[in-house]
Amino acid sequence: MADAPPPQPKPGAIPRPAGRLLRPGGLLRSGEWALLGAILAAVALATLVDSNHSYWFRPLESLRDIARNTALLGIFALGAAVVIIAGGIDLAAGSMIALSGTVCATTMLALAPEAMTAFRPVGPVVVAAGCAASLLTGFLVGTLHAWLITAVRLPPFIATLATLVGLRSLARALCENATAAFTPTKSALINVADPLFKAIRDNVWIPVAVFAVLAVVTWMLLTRTVLGRHVHALGGNEQAARLAGIRTDAVKWFAYCFGAMTAALAGLFYVANESVAAPVNQGRGHELNAIAAAVVGGCSLTGGVGTIPGTVLGAIFLRVVIDAVSKVIKTGADVYEGLIVGIVVVFAVTFAQVGQLASGGRRLLPGALGVCAIPTLATFTGAVVAMMSGRLAGAAAGIMALLLLSGLRVWESRSARAVARSAP
Amino acid sequence: MTAVAPASPDCSAIVMRGITKRFPGVVALDGVSLEVKPGECHAICGENGAGKSTLMKILSGVDRPDAGTIEVHGSPVAFAGTGDAERAGVAIIHQELALVEDLPVAANVFLGRELRTRLGLLDDRRMEAECHRLLRSLECDIDPRARTGSLRIGDQQLVEIAKALALEASIVVMDEPTSALTEAESARLERTIAGLRARGTTIVYISHKMDEVFRLADRITVLRDGRHVATVHRSDTDQRQVTAWMVGRDLADGELAGGRTPGARVLEIRGLTLPWPDHPRGHRIADVSLDLHAGEIVGIAGLMGAGRTELLETIFGAAEPNWTGEIRLDGRPVRFAHPAEARAAGIALVAEDRKRLGLFADLDVAANVSLCALGDARRAGLLSRSREDALVAGPIRDTGVKAPGPRAAITGLSGGNQQKCIIGRWLLTRPRILLLDDPTRGIDVGAKAELHRLIDRLCRQGMAVLLTSSELPELLTLADRIIVLAEGRRTAEFSRAEATEQQIMEAATGYAPT
Repeated sequence: MADAPPPQPKPGAIPRPAGRLLRPGGLLRSGEWALLGAILAAVALATLVDSNHSYWFRPLESLRDIARNTALLGIFALGAAVVIIAGGIDLAAGSMIALSGTVCATTMLALAPEAMTAFRPVGPVVVAAGCAASLLTGFLVGTLHAWLITAVRLPPFIATLATLVGLRSLARALCENATAAFTPTKSALINVADPLFKAIRDNVWIPVAVFAVLAVVTWMLLTRTVLGRHVHALGGNEQAARLAGIRTDAVKWFAYCFGAMTAALAGLFYVANESVAAPVNQGRGHELNAIAAAVVGGCSLTGGVGTIPGTVLGAIFLRVVIDAVSKVIKTGADVYEGLIVGIVVVFAVTFAQVGQLASGGRRLLPGALGVCAIPTLATFTGAVVAMMSGRLAGAAAGIMALLLLSGLRVWESRSARAVARSAP
Repeated sequence: MTAVAPASPDCSAIVMRGITKRFPGVVALDGVSLEVKPGECHAICGENGAGKSTLMKILSGVDRPDAGTIEVHGSPVAFAGTGDAERAGVAIIHQELALVEDLPVAANVFLGRELRTRLGLLDDRRMEAECHRLLRSLECDIDPRARTGSLRIGDQQLVEIAKALALEASIVVMDEPTSALTEAESARLERTIAGLRARGTTIVYISHKMDEVFRLADRITVLRDGRHVATVHRSDTDQRQVTAWMVGRDLADGELAGGRTPGARVLEIRGLTLPWPDHPRGHRIADVSLDLHAGEIVGIAGLMGAGRTELLETIFGAAEPNWTGEIRLDGRPVRFAHPAEARAAGIALVAEDRKRLGLFADLDVAANVSLCALGDARRAGLLSRSREDALVAGPIRDTGVKAPGPRAAITGLSGGNQQKCIIGRWLLTRPRILLLDDPTRGIDVGAKAELHRLIDRLCRQGMAVLLTSSELPELLTLADRIIVLAEGRRTAEFSRAEATEQQIMEAATGYAPT
């Protein structure tokens, strides 16, 4: 029995596209258009509010910053999206970034110790070997994840939580051992000064181009190949996928390798960007930004749902908001980065449910929880604004939030009573 | 919760007037009225999508009507949730199981109404005892401490029923309570219903099964397409009339199996045993042998837990790989390690639980159908929409799927059409052996007849079909031979000519050797 009666198809009815996987015509869905609009709105708002108006006066410089950061996040956000659509989760991407960079630097150090320690060019062959070693490491880590998840049958969260912790430690140990063996002193850093890496650092369009190509390839892969369809099927209903004869273990192997290898690729760009392989801090916590980008872009953590254009827009949106806030408040964006990502995720997912909230008669501030949530949210808003823009503004924002939320609460209670009255 | 006594014996237990409910794009109920007298058993019949479940969800506070009024025991009510309905004495047994799988049975039965000790702690002992008593009244011996998710679907449904009984409500709504029950369990439920009625409980009973409806109901209300069609006394009508009201046309579902000529033997199973470690029985199936020929339908009868599903899954390579015995395909021994191998060998399995094991709710109709044959939907290595549409057009037409188009959402289709999509998916793999695990469970009468004709047609085209069903009439209608399993063992085989429901039930409950 269907919960709701199915629409009765009329003979000769025009096929009505309703599939969520592929929609004919148009790259973007309604939610993704909204995301695009939000990106433009954030840019416009920051242009106006920022007292230096840097988006207006120095647009190229700002674009370059955002593009670099977006590409670095986006490359492994694509991997995160594929894993999430396949119904899994990869918490180890940040550690994979660190390990990848370390493996690359270690390989180059082993092959050309004098050149590396003297900050001289090591030559394209050595660089290629380092990069290949990194990508191979990504493949191995992906394989390890798939093995832990399909053969040992660990939940993906547990398996990648273990490697999140373990791989970073491994990267550090590798770095210290390699530096002890090939350089005079043991170190938790390996400097990378080859001109090829410098070229990547100085030419922001290289990571952007890599990101763009990878996004198109991933998008084609998910929407136009059998493997991509199997990824969606696996994430949507694993048992049914297996009973349909899909080798679900193989699909998972692919998904986790794709996730780890995109993180490995991103790790190379991190090294280029910072001219150093730093296993202790590089990419720390960035896996959550990648997951956030995928979620903001419409991927569902229950699997089966999500698109690559959405993920790309999600990554752009996150980086634009972070950059815009840093332009407005003129302090380092890194301080507030986590806060911004958190708020954006909450707003983006809430925004996607606004329709449900309105039509389902659900309340945002119900009962005692709602009453307690009002001062919580107001205090939080006030504190954040106070730290960003001074105490007066903070107090004003806090009071404003208190009034708005109280108003919402009153309105919700009234309309709930009205509904109750209208029903006999 | 104690029973709420009717305010006065002459006022109706339930009066619903002009109930209208709209969902996006569809009017689920259009001014439906229903009046149920106190103490009566009132059946509500209708095809899928007729609005039966929606009406009951409104009655039990799950959904709110867009228009219309409800009175319970003479006083107007407006339920904002199931809690309100329960306080007014209305309990519902949902068709879709609403149990917390990780909690024990007793915790589920008392979920939200937990019994507490004087210290305010959970009184597990009392809840377990009470739960045990309720389950005993249903004549089943489910352990109140068992993890609910470890129970078979039939047992879970009994737990759901016990949960509603625990409320001791004056009105009990049962939404297809027997859809996952065997005939024996259904008979027990019927005795329970008789017991409830003796205590004066009003029953609203929703079912597709005409036999049940005519055995149980005092009056029958028929809904079609969200509208009220008729309310009649049982004695004033017959099954044929009610079925005709439900589908809006006369149905002739006679015998289908006559005149088939089985061909060569394609599947041969000898001494198949699937162990069940950590279970007192020790095996899921034990020493089962059977033959299956091309152009033949062999039915597998058995109660829940008899091993029907496990038998099909073992053949298909979807069960645990530790089985012993022999499976021969065209005389060659086979041992599939993965459903993909079985698929490649020409075997198809339409699994038991459509929503959990068959459907991809996030994919559209075409993607659901093409899934097993995506290689044929490619152009230059990439999936092509037009090729995929062309590919699925065949099976969609052959199985008679009614859908707004190949790109419609699969979740918008009725259960029968969803099942046809899944059969169509497998037809694209050109199977020679079709394993159908209770293919018409929870599907309405009209669609069921269509599926029966489809299965018969496939068989006549030379396909070998192994069919399980929780409804004996279905096996008797379709199968050439019926093999009966009891507790994992084969207890009887009947040819279609000699099989009767009585004999099959005896073999399914007993251990009579063949």
